[in-house]
Parts: sequence; structure tokens; C-alpha cells
Amino acid sequence: MKLAGLKSVENAHEESVWAATWVPATDNRPSLLLTGSLDETVKLWKSDELDLERTNTGHCLGVVSVAAHPSGFIAASASLDSFVRVFEVDSNSTIATLEAPPSEVWQMRFNPEGTMLAVAGGGSASIKLWDTNTWKLAATLSIPRPEGPKPTDKTASKKFVLSVAWSVDGRRLACGSMDGTISVFDVARAKFLHHLEGHFMPVRSLVYSPVEPRLLFSASDDAHVHMYDAEGKTLIGAMSGHSSWVLSVDASPDGTAVATGSSDRTVRLWDLNMRTAVQTMTNHSDQVWAVAFRPPGGGAVRSGRLASVSDDKSISLYDYS
Amino acid sequence: MEEVAVEKEHEGESETPRVSARQLQEAVDAHPDDPSSHFKLGIFMWENGGSHDKGAAADHFLKSAKLDPGNAAAFKYLGHYYATFSVDIERALKCYQRAVSLDVDDFHSGEALCDLLHHQGKESLEVAVCREASSKSPRAFWAFRRLGYLQVYQKKWTEAVLSLQHAIRGYPHCADLWEALGLAYQRLGRFTAAIKSYARAIEIEGDRILARVESGNIFLMLGLLKKGVEHFRQALEISPKSITAQFGLSSGLLGLAKEYINRGAFKWASFLLEEASKVARGSTHLAANSSCIWKLLGDIQHTYAKCYPWMEEDWGQCSESFRTSILSWKQTRSLALFSAKCSYQQALHLAPWEANIYTDIAITLDIISSLNDDSGFGFNSWQISEKMTLGALMLEGDNHEFWVAMGCISNHDALKQHAFIRALQLDGSLAGAWAYLGKLYWNRSEKQLARQAFDYARSIDPSLALPWAGMSADLNIRESSSDEAFESCLRAAQILPVAEFQIGLAKLSLHAGHLSSPQVFGAIRQAVQLAPCYPESYNLNGLAFEAQLDYQSAVAAYRLAHLTISHFSDRVPRSHVRDISINLARSLCMVGNFFEALQECENLSKEGMLDIEGLQVYAFSLWKLGKNDEALSIVRTLASGISAMESTRMAASVGFICRLLCSISGLDSTINSIMKMPANFFQSSKMSFVVAAVHALDSCERLESIVLSSRSCLQSHEEITRMHILITLSKLIKYQTNNCLGFLNGVMHLRKALHAYPNSNLIRNLLGYLLLSNEEGDDNHIATRCCNMFYGLDQQNKGLKSAYEIHGAGAVACYTIGTSHPRFSFPTCSYQCQNGIGTIRQLQKCLRQEPWNCDVQYLLILNILQKAREERFPCHLRATIERLILVAFSNEPYFEKDTSHRYKKFQLLLCASEISLQGGGQIKCINYAKAASSISLPEMYLFYAHLLLCRAYAAENDSNNLRKEFIKCLDLKTDNYLGWVCLKSIASGYELHDESNILELSFKKCSLESKNLQHMVIPLSSLVDGLISFRSQDFMAAEKYFAQACSLGHDDGCLLLCHGVTCMELAKQLCSSHFLRLAVSSLLKAQVISVVPIPIVSIILAQVEGSLGLKENWESGLRFEWFSWPPDMRPAELLFQMHLLAKQSKVGSDQLRVELCQSPLRWVLRAIHVNPSCMRYWKVVQSLWNEG
Repeated sequence: MKLAGLKSVENAHEESVWAATWVPATDNRPSLLLTGSLDETVKLWKSDELDLERTNTGHCLGVVSVAAHPSGFIAASASLDSFVRVFEVDSNSTIATLEAPPSEVWQMRFNPEGTMLAVAGGGSASIKLWDTNTWKLAATLSIPRPEGPKPTDKTASKKFVLSVAWSVDGRRLACGSMDGTISVFDVARAKFLHHLEGHFMPVRSLVYSPVEPRLLFSASDDAHVHMYDAEGKTLIGAMSGHSSWVLSVDASPDGTAVATGSSDRTVRLWDLNMRTAVQTMTNHSDQVWAVAFRPPGGGAVRSGRLASVSDDKSISLYDYS
Repeated sequence: MEEVAVEKEHEGESETPRVSARQLQEAVDAHPDDPSSHFKLGIFMWENGGSHDKGAAADHFLKSAKLDPGNAAAFKYLGHYYATFSVDIERALKCYQRAVSLDVDDFHSGEALCDLLHHQGKESLEVAVCREASSKSPRAFWAFRRLGYLQVYQKKWTEAVLSLQHAIRGYPHCADLWEALGLAYQRLGRFTAAIKSYARAIEIEGDRILARVESGNIFLMLGLLKKGVEHFRQALEISPKSITAQFGLSSGLLGLAKEYINRGAFKWASFLLEEASKVARGSTHLAANSSCIWKLLGDIQHTYAKCYPWMEEDWGQCSESFRTSILSWKQTRSLALFSAKCSYQQALHLAPWEANIYTDIAITLDIISSLNDDSGFGFNSWQISEKMTLGALMLEGDNHEFWVAMGCISNHDALKQHAFIRALQLDGSLAGAWAYLGKLYWNRSEKQLARQAFDYARSIDPSLALPWAGMSADLNIRESSSDEAFESCLRAAQILPVAEFQIGLAKLSLHAGHLSSPQVFGAIRQAVQLAPCYPESYNLNGLAFEAQLDYQSAVAAYRLAHLTISHFSDRVPRSHVRDISINLARSLCMVGNFFEALQECENLSKEGMLDIEGLQVYAFSLWKLGKNDEALSIVRTLASGISAMESTRMAASVGFICRLLCSISGLDSTINSIMKMPANFFQSSKMSFVVAAVHALDSCERLESIVLSSRSCLQSHEEITRMHILITLSKLIKYQTNNCLGFLNGVMHLRKALHAYPNSNLIRNLLGYLLLSNEEGDDNHIATRCCNMFYGLDQQNKGLKSAYEIHGAGAVACYTIGTSHPRFSFPTCSYQCQNGIGTIRQLQKCLRQEPWNCDVQYLLILNILQKAREERFPCHLRATIERLILVAFSNEPYFEKDTSHRYKKFQLLLCASEISLQGGGQIKCINYAKAASSISLPEMYLFYAHLLLCRAYAAENDSNNLRKEFIKCLDLKTDNYLGWVCLKSIASGYELHDESNILELSFKKCSLESKNLQHMVIPLSSLVDGLISFRSQDFMAAEKYFAQACSLGHDDGCLLLCHGVTCMELAKQLCSSHFLRLAVSSLLKAQVISVVPIPIVSIILAQVEGSLGLKENWESGLRFEWFSWPPDMRPAELLFQMHLLAKQSKVGSDQLRVELCQSPLRWVLRAIHVNPSCMRYWKVVQSLWNEG
């Protein structure tokens, strides 16, 4: 497995680029790259040339998260002021504006069936689930407060939820918190199952393996990438190599590799069997906020693509093979 | 024939058969020699007739064949007749043969012929027929197909592949063919091709069981276990009782489980093994006499027993449930082992010649005995496990694996060694045997031999865990630096996750300082799952939790260690128990549970087992519980032991003693104790900080010499910069004057330090902080300039304040706004600091990185408010601020009681109130401001809440409340001149005459108290007076006030502009050139001193000078004005004036001037475009038009 640089767009946004995701292909068009930035815009890019398709405006503060519906028709973007804008990808018409109650919105993910939008609820120490038919709040999955001698001991702020991930079968939901714990939920019963231990600094990004519903990858400020058996609550692998915060992790569609972006300004590709970094890309000049593998599909068999976005305002595209 | 037709009619069928039958009969009758009519009639009768018509049909076929011997179809039907009706196989064969030889491509006759031959068992003939047919025509697909099947049957795989491939061209949708092709490929070892063929077969017909099972087998063989398992699962869905599929599924699951075990996912593996064992158990019921299924079941249960993890749950303090949980874990394991033993025995019973089953039983027995701890019986007697291994060796004496097994199982050292050496004689490259031999030597303390054996093993097979572990143990003993040992052990534990390696790894990491690494954490958590009866695994787990600062979990882990000791292991050394207790006490202290920590320490002290660390924890928890005397006595005990300690421990202990003394008995006694201590105590960097801190608080400088001497121990840059910061802080304290810290001295020191260490962000940040905190000067702009914004790891290394706080606060503290966005206002500040939008973006970046950080959020809100103010509170910014404030109020820190948080809450309330006021929500505004005024803060802060209330009531025209709040403001007073100015303008704006007198009085009083106020307020107050007079058209008074303000204050562009404008107005009214000259001088001054040109100034100046007759100046002034506006904001009047300029300088001037870029007419048109309502412009256009 290896990465090869294909294209890089300098100054893709006016300010730091903070979020990126791939909008799956539809019958009429191939997949698109969706990026969000501190400059309060969301941009759509055509692969592989990274031609700018459109610029969406409307957010009042920096865009912290973008998510794409598995159908490829709908996407959502969220800014620091906790407004989520849901829009049609091809027409940019607003479908819904979700306003989180006085809590915040961080990572967002649609479930594989596309019926729910999970939102990492920041200070509310919970995941909010929005129904994608009615765009009403469907459920709130709260992390139970630990029993301790002092329950008010800033525990809520420690459980600040930063990241969220759906298992590939859609039955489990995991969220990462500021104190380094990962919480796993049963979606059907809307029930908290257990914590996964091992990180001791904020967990910025989570992703389930696309082939193995039990396997979860996590990226944390402690500079490590962990691999968990999320059902058996066991840490089964830790990958070291980054020299600073790991801000983002994504698993390759074949499930044999993960890519990470870090504050040390690198993008790394990890071989899961060897549990080591097999490649380090150093083309960014500032911290890398998001990495995203392009999902398979879109007509003919096409090669793998990885996109990374960074505080240096640039977007990079790599060939993954 | 007639009858048939009638019958058919009776049955109500269509007319056509009868008609055609008759026609055909007639045709035959008409042309009795025409073979085709006979044939047609024959076919008709064959197809439509009953069984008794077949004979007649055959007659016709016979006649047709005789007449036309080349008609293959006729022979075919004859063949059918002979084969089925008149059962004359020989004739049938001949007919078919004839048919085939006539038409090779006809698969009916070909197939029928082959079927007949097949039934007669003439396989070679069948092959020959097919071969002949296939060689004759490439389109005889039936022949290829038949041949392919036959070749598969005869296991001629290569030929079969060719035949089948050809046949598939004819029958691309025949699943059988694909399946057969897959099989042929599989046997030839072409697995990918085989998988593809099978997949095609499955695609055509979903329920191909063979294809599924075989592709499952191939996947297992290729190591793609998951895919294999999937195929077997599907096969079982089709045919739930297929033994091969069950066998495949359970062996696939076993393989998967082993993979997961190697990764350490025991729970996952045991989950898979449970399923595997269920499936395998099922197939033993279906095929009880298959030895391999029993063996597989045994293997599954054996693996299950080895990997079944103990899962930690939350028991709280209940020791009983912990015990039962461990017991049930043990029971599950031994039950699995017993059933494994039984399964192996079944297998052996069925196939006693299988030697390896003997060793399987032996290994299982060995594990059972080790679980039950009954290794104690006599060394002379042979154990059963040894006997079983011998059984295997009797059968296959030259199998090296059995020798290795023998060596592992045996209890006799000599026999062990013999067995391993025997195995190595059989195969010298047996890495496992070398490794075990190494372990044997190691246990016998023959280190040299052991090392050699391990080295051999590692060089043969580097993926074997044991040699790495051995090397790690060896390195650990030989060398003091344990990094290499740690690496080796890490490798061993990663290759083979067993509890021994994992615990060893954790112990090594404790010495090497890698305890917080996630690899170690994962390993030790797995060790707990595998060895829950072993107290050391909990103890190390607790230490790992501590390394990750998770003290609550650490406490739980240590408690479990104690429970394990009390329940399961009675042979634990006492020192070990003590270590755990001290660890527990320390963690209890860290979570704030001092009482229990104290109890632990007291228990230890009763047994006399407290060491240095224990004493420290003891003293600390005593002090925390308020038992100072007892704490002091413990400190004394600790102090008596100091001189015997090694240097690092000594520093820690001395530091601890000093700090505790300082907290308990105060500064003086600490200083006395320090002075009594020997000098060598302070020769470490840690101590130098402690001493310096004590020294900083001491006003008598008693520790000067000690501090100076210990400072020499500081080595690294970081330590030195930290010391500089400490010194700065001490200067702040030492040079403080009546409640004001010695900022000046601190800043001076930091400047010098920064000169020496320009890279130090710590120093920069502190300097920025001090400059900001210093209220006396306008240092904000310097503060933000002296520290850089850095992200990422730099933030972990926090000093007192981080850069973002200084930038955020600096930007808010700076009154001058609009430097970055001249759209909204024109700054007159000469410092030109770069704040504004940049800071908001930077703060957002910080918030993105630390979304939980309330300080960043707070600063962001204030900065956005500043931006909103600059942009005159646009709607979207108001909404954003409102939302952010709502979020901020839900944050917990704002419920806390300390002053800084109260102050922040106050500020946020004021922000919310201001935003509501600007949005027209006076009620909301009043509510927020009232909430703010009820927070208990110093009066000078509360002033602002009441000021806001004044404004809100003023907006509501509620003069009663306005008066009340105004008086309240006057009572509270402020030392900020802007506050006074605001009050003044409110008083004049809302005609509070009585109150304004009080205002004057109290202002005079206040300004006497504060020099700063006097110096700033009087010019501003005059400015306000002037503005008020100006508004009420009293220009003379206004001019007087403005002139006063100008003469008193600093030179300020705006002030001068006001004066200039007023003078202009007066000049216009009074036609006085005196005022014109005054105006010129003010405006000129304004133009000169403004760093960024202020609009309007130049145009007015130009007009004044124009009216004084200085046409040149008028022109240049106008041009200057043109450039002082941002391009998109130039007013209509300016464009209009430019037309005059263009008209003036039309003749004979150079082309570079700005007014000449377009015609006067276009200038006026542009002016109209900007402001179409001005009639003057239209008239000029008209006249210009007429001229043109």
C-alpha cells in the first residue's frame, strides 16, 4: 500500500481548512470533495483536478465539521456557533437548519443507512441524533456521569464530546471525549454500553473499520492511534509515530490501512497488520485537520483517493493503492 | 390416425394438429417417396401422439431414414424410440452413433448416446465418442461438456480445464460447468481462477453448495479467513446439515480466533470460539465417528480455555462478587479444558494411529494440572501427560515436534534437555526448540548457554516471541539502561500476548519511564484479563493509570490487587503488599480521599513498613486533614532519614519538607529550617526553585546566599527561563506599593531576560501579561506585539497566561478600532496595532483546538462584540454573540464563586445586555443589566451595569428610573474617564439638570483623587461640552470648548477636525477671516498628525483655503481627500467636487492626475449615481450637457 501525491491546491480557502469529507457519487456525477474552513465558507471540489465546483456561504463563524449523506444528495456543515446547515449538494438549497440547544456541535456523521445524523454534542456530554426525514431531534445519547466522591468536579467539561463514529452495520455508535475515554452506544436501544480506555488526552477523531463492525480506530492528542475491539472493550493495538496531536483518522475502504493527520504537519499511512506507519507525507506546512478516503463506487472500478486539509489553507489529494 | 384426431377434438384442443395431421398424411400419401414428408409426419406423431403412436412414428422415421440416409434427426428419433420404447439398446446405439456422425453439433443425440454408454458402463467408449465429436467440430459443445465432466471424474485436471473452458463458450450459463471448472482449477492449484469460477457458478445459481464450500476451503487455505467463514456460513444457510461446511466454518472461526488472540482481542476470539464450538459440536452429532471433527472440537475448546478473558466490571467495594467472578472465570476455563480433553480422547479412540492426538491430550493434561496447581507429586513417577507424549513418540519417534512437546511437558530437567537436543538433532533449524532450550538454561542460571540458544532461535525465526523475551530478561540483568530490554520485551509481547510477557513489559517500562505509552497500557490491561488472580497485574495496571493521570481508576486497580492477595494468593511477599498499599495511599491522595489514604498509611506504620515515600504520603494526608502536629512529627522522622538517601530522592524529600513546613508553620520557621540545613541539600535544580520561591516571599532577604548558590545548578535553557519568571514574580511582590504590584520592575527584568532568551515564549507571554495588567500606560499594543500566537504542543507548556489570552485581551482593551477595516471607521490612534479580524480568527483557531476552553470562548465573545460595535451592531453578529453567550452561561465555571469567574460572568451579562439594547430589546437589556449589577464585585465594576441601565431607561424614556440609576452611578463612581463622559452626555441628552450639577461636583472630587483622570477627562469633557453646544447650534460656545480641549489634551485628529468645522461654521455665519485662519491651522494640524488620513479633513481644508483664495491648495487638498477614502465608500459630494477639479485643470496639465481619468460630465454622473436625490447635481449635468 502506498500514497502518491496527485494534486495540491494552495490557498484553497482564505483561512485554515478545518474539515473535509467525500460526497459519494450519484448517477449523474462522480464523488465530490467537501471542505469547510475558518473563512466561514464550505467548498465543493471536483476530483481529480480539484476544480472548485461551488462555494457555499452563510455561516457566521468558522466551519468545524462537514458530513455527507451516503446517498450523495445531501450534506451538512456546522460552524462554531452550533448552527448545522443541511443542504442539497447539487443545488445548494437549504433543506434544514438545525440549531443545537446551548451546547455545541463538533464532528457529525450520517449513519450508513442515511436515516440519522449523529452530532458530537460537545459540552452536553452526549451525542444528538437527528432524524433525516423530519430533521427533528430523534434521540440524545448521554454519557453516564462517573460515580465519584465529587460529582461536580468538572466532570461534565471533562466529558466534552469531540468525535463520533458509526459502525459499518449501523448498530453501534462511538464517541470520543476530552478526557480520553471513548463511549460505545447501542443505537437500537439508545443505550450506553461501555467505555474504552487507553487514551488520556482528548480523542479528536474516531472511525470504525469499513469491513469489520467491531473494529474501531481512534486518534488522540496523546499522539497515538489506537485500535479497539469495541465490543470486547479491549485495546488491541496502539500505533506510535506522530510527534504531536493526532487530529484526524480515516480507514481505507478495503480495511487494511488507516490514514491520519496530525499537528506535526504530516499525513501518515499505517499498515494495520504491521501496526506501523508505512508512509509519511510532509507536504503540508501546518497542522492537518482532516483526512478522508474516497468511498468506493461511482460507476467503473476506480482507484483509491485520499484527501487531506490543513491550517496552511491548502488541500492535497493522493492516490492510494 | 382418425381416432387420435377425434380424441384431440374431444379434449378441446386447437384445430391445427388435426388439420396438419391430415395434411401431412395426405402429403405422405401423395408422395410416398418423399423422405421429408415422412419425417414431418413422424415428428408430428412423435410429438403429439400417445405412447402407442410412437411405433407408427418410428415407422415413418425408418422410411424417411431409408429414403434419405443423411437425415440425422430421423436417426435421432429412431434412437429415442429404440432406447425408450422398444428397448433395443444396440439398435439405439447404432442409430445415435449414426445421428452423431451425421450431425456432430446435435447435443440431443450426442447426450443420449453418451447416456446409453454410461449406463452400460462403457466409459472409455463414451470418452472416445466425445473426443471424436469434439475433434470434429468446435461447436459440439455437448461433447466438450461431457468430456470435461469425464475428465474431472478421471482427475485429468489439465485436460478437463481445456474441455470445460471450451464447453463454457457454448453454455455460459451452466452453473455445473463453472463449478467443475472451479474444481479443476482448485486441484491444479490455481486458486484465484478457481475462486472466480466458483463465484460465477454461485452467481448463476445461488444455492451451489459445492462451490461455496470449496471456495471457503480455498479462502481458508489462502489465509483469508473472514471470506472463508462467510462462504461457509452461506453454505450452511442452504444446507444446514452439511458436515463439510460445518467443519469448514468451525475451523475458519478457529483460525480467525487465533488471529485475534495474537492481536490481544481475547473477548472477540472467545466470542468466535463459542460459535465455532457450537458448530463443531453439532457436526459431532451428525458424524460421531469422524476423528478429525473431534480433534477440531478439542482444538477449539483448548484454544477457548487459553484465551477466555476475565472481564473487569464495576464491583465497587464488594469483594465477594469479585471473588465469585474470578471463580466463575476459572471454572469456565477448566470446563473448556476438560471437554477438550474428552474430545481429544474421542478422536484418539476413533483413530488410535494418529500420533499427534497423543500430544494434544498430553498438552491439555499439562495445562489442567498447572491450573489446579497440583504439580507437587513425586518426581519419580511418570505423569500421565508425559506418558501420553511417549505414546506419540512410540508411534513416530522421528517427529521433532513430539520431542519438543515432550521437553515442554516433562518435569525432569535432564529429560527436558534430552528431548530438546533430540529434537534439534532431528532438525537443527528448529527455532522453538532452541528457544525452549534457552529458557531451560536460563532457569538453570547458565546464562551464557541460554544467551547462545536464544540467539540461535532468534536468527532462525525472528517472529518467535520467547527468544525476544529471553533477550529482554538477559539485557535487563546485564545492563543498567533498560531501553533495549524494554524494546525486546515489547516485541515479545506484541508477537505473543501472554500475561507473563505483558507483566514483564510493564515492569520494564516502570524503570524505563514508558509507563504512559499506550502499548504498555494495552498490554497490562490484557494481562489483567488473562491473569486476574495475580496481584501484580493489578498493581502495574494501577501504575499505568497513574501515569495517565487517571487516579480514580488507579485506586480501583490497587484495591483489586489487595482483594486478589486476600482471596487467591497467600504467598505474596510482605514488601509487595506494602508497595501496593503505598501506591493506593498516594492515588487516594490524588483523588482527594485523604482520610482513607491516612488509614492505609496508619496500617502500614503499625506494621512498621513505611518507607520514605510512605512517610511523605502519610505527612501529606495528615496535613490535608488538618492534623498539623502529627504531620510535623512525621516530617521530623522523614528529615532524620534524609542524609542516608540517594541524591534524587533527597531532593524530592527536602523539597517536600520545605513546602509542608511553609504551609504548616509559616514562612519564618521554614526559612529558619532551611538555614539550618546543610548546603549540599540544595544542589539540585528542583531545590533551587523551592528555595527561590520561599525567598521571593521573604521580605528580609535571609536566604540570599543559599538562593544564589543553588542557582548554579540550573542547566537547561528551560529551567533558566523558568527561574527568570520566578524572579520576575518575586520582584512584582517585593516592589509593590500600596496594592499595586511592582509592574515596572517586573517588566524591566523580563526585558533583560528576553534579550538573553529571545526564543522563550514563556517570558514573552508573561511580559505581555504584565504590560496588559499595568493600567498606567498605553501598553496594550506592545503587549500584543511581544508575544507570538503558537499552537499545538506549545500550548501544553503553559505559563501563567498563554499567548491567545494576551492577544484576545489586548485586542479588547485597545480602544482604537477599525485599523483592519476602514469601511466602518477611521482610526486616529498613532500606535496602529494589528488587531481586529485577525484576533477573532486566531481565537476561533484556539477554540477549534480546545473547544472546552471557556477562556477562549469568553475572549471570542468580547472580540466579536468589539467587531459588532465597529460595524454598528449588524443583525447577524448580534445573533452570533447572543448564541455564544448562551453557550457560555451553560458552562460550569460560571457557577463558581471566585472573583475572576464572577467578573467574567458580569462582563458576559453586560455584553448580552448591550446586544439586547442594540437590538431594541430594552426589557431583556434591563434584565441582563440588573442581573449583572447584582453580582458581588467591587463598585467600580458595578458602575458599568448601572450605566447600561441608564442607557436602557433613556431608550425607554423612563425618566424616573433613569434619574435613579444616574444617581446610583454617581454614587458608585468610576476612575475611567469614558464613564464620566458617558454620564455627561446622558445628562445633557436627557436634560437631567439637577443631576448634572451633582455630576460636576462628584467628578471634581474624583478627579482630585486620581491624577490620571484629571489628565484625561478635562479635554474630553470639553469635547463633550463642545459637541453638545454644536448640536444646539451654539457655535461660539462650541468653538470655545473645542479650543479648550485642543489646548489641554494631546493632539487628536478628531478634536482638531471638530474645532476646524466649528470655526468654518462661525466664519460662514460671521464672515470673519479670523475664524477661517483658525480653521486652517486646526485642520492643517489634523492632517499632519493623523497617521491614517481622516476623511473630510482635507476637503474642508481645501474649501477653507479655496475661500481664502489659495486655489493651488484647494486642488491638492481635494486630491488628497480623494485618496483618504476607501474606493467603495467615496461620497457623492466628493465625486461632484472632483468634477470641478477636472474642469479647472483641463487645460495643459499632465495626464497623470486623478481627476483627469474621466470627463467632468462622468464625474457628475457618478455623483448622481451615488446620490440621485440631490437637485444640484442634476442641474450641473444639464448645464454640462448644454455646453457639450
